[in-house]
Amino acid sequence: MKKLLVGVLILVIFQWLGEFAAALLGINLPGQLLGMIFLLLVLSFNTSLLPWLESASSQLIRYIALLFVPVTTGAFFLAPAITGQFPKIVIILVVSTMLAQWFMGLIIKRVSNHSG
Amino acid sequence: MGDVLVTQILIPQWQLIATTSWPVLITLAGFVIGLWVYRRSGNASPFHPLMIATPLIYLFLQWIELDFERYYAGSGLVNWLLGPATVALAVPLSQQLRQLPALFRPLSIALLAGGLFATLSALLMVKLFGLDDRILLSLAAKSVTSPIAIGLVQQIGGITSLLAVATMVTGLAGIIMAQTIFRITEVEDERWQGLILGVTAHAIGTAKAFETSPRCGAFATLGMGLNGIWTSLFLPAAVVYFIN
Repeated sequence: MKKLLVGVLILVIFQWLGEFAAALLGINLPGQLLGMIFLLLVLSFNTSLLPWLESASSQLIRYIALLFVPVTTGAFFLAPAITGQFPKIVIILVVSTMLAQWFMGLIIKRVSNHSG
Repeated sequence: MGDVLVTQILIPQWQLIATTSWPVLITLAGFVIGLWVYRRSGNASPFHPLMIATPLIYLFLQWIELDFERYYAGSGLVNWLLGPATVALAVPLSQQLRQLPALFRPLSIALLAGGLFATLSALLMVKLFGLDDRILLSLAAKSVTSPIAIGLVQQIGGITSLLAVATMVTGLAGIIMAQTIFRITEVEDERWQGLILGVTAHAIGTAKAFETSPRCGAFATLGMGLNGIWTSLFLPAAVVYFIN
């Protein structure tokens, strides 16, 4: 429990650092993403924070779908002007995902031959 | 500087948390039911907790005549947690990055090209289909894992609820088509299969990759996390280009 709370606190502090940097430097990126990049940098040089973060991060990631429930429910309340476009939107999403997977497959075949 | 910290960070975050009230219970109950159904179905993707929870909550809100804005504000604490959850992605990412060096070159090429392609192909099709700019801004981050994608779409001015659905459709489509694509392109190595799943189908693809093997899942985690960072870097410029 103590590790979980300390872990969440560390995550929140990094989020603030990210938001602070974004606001101060006028960087056009979400603050929490900058916070994630900062934490990634810190962890790649120094792993001493890792034992404190493992519990909080694995719990948050495991139940991450919970955090999208309110925003996804909002889709049922979108304006008809947008819901009317749903068939086209689904086609775009499916086709672009398929093309991207195929394209990545081709690239990987080309670049991975020599490195196994 | 202290001013920025208080007015732009602490106060908005506190306001988000402080709006939390009883509707957050609807969110929790809906999710628990969704999770239960998903587990009972043997983790079948059409029964993803979000696919179950959100229509149930919608019906419930209609029944008690609660409007969406009040429900959404009432779930403030849940929405606020998206921030720490985004930062938390750094932990598995750093653990995977450590075991990588030998594959660095092919992996970066596949990741950079694949991430770019996944987004640009969608933006191009939005234009070809003549959909309006609000839809373009909302779909732009569809290949990115939701916590990062929601932040990005807020930033560029899209509709986060539309993005949330688009991300879900993308993830489900990705795991349904992946095996066929792997056969056609003859990608048999499960590390590369994992990378493709993570880049194109984010968290839903990553969960699927873990079903294949921990190694496949590790590469999906890497693909998902790095693509989130990569897409955030080129997206603002790409969007400006497509809107003009």
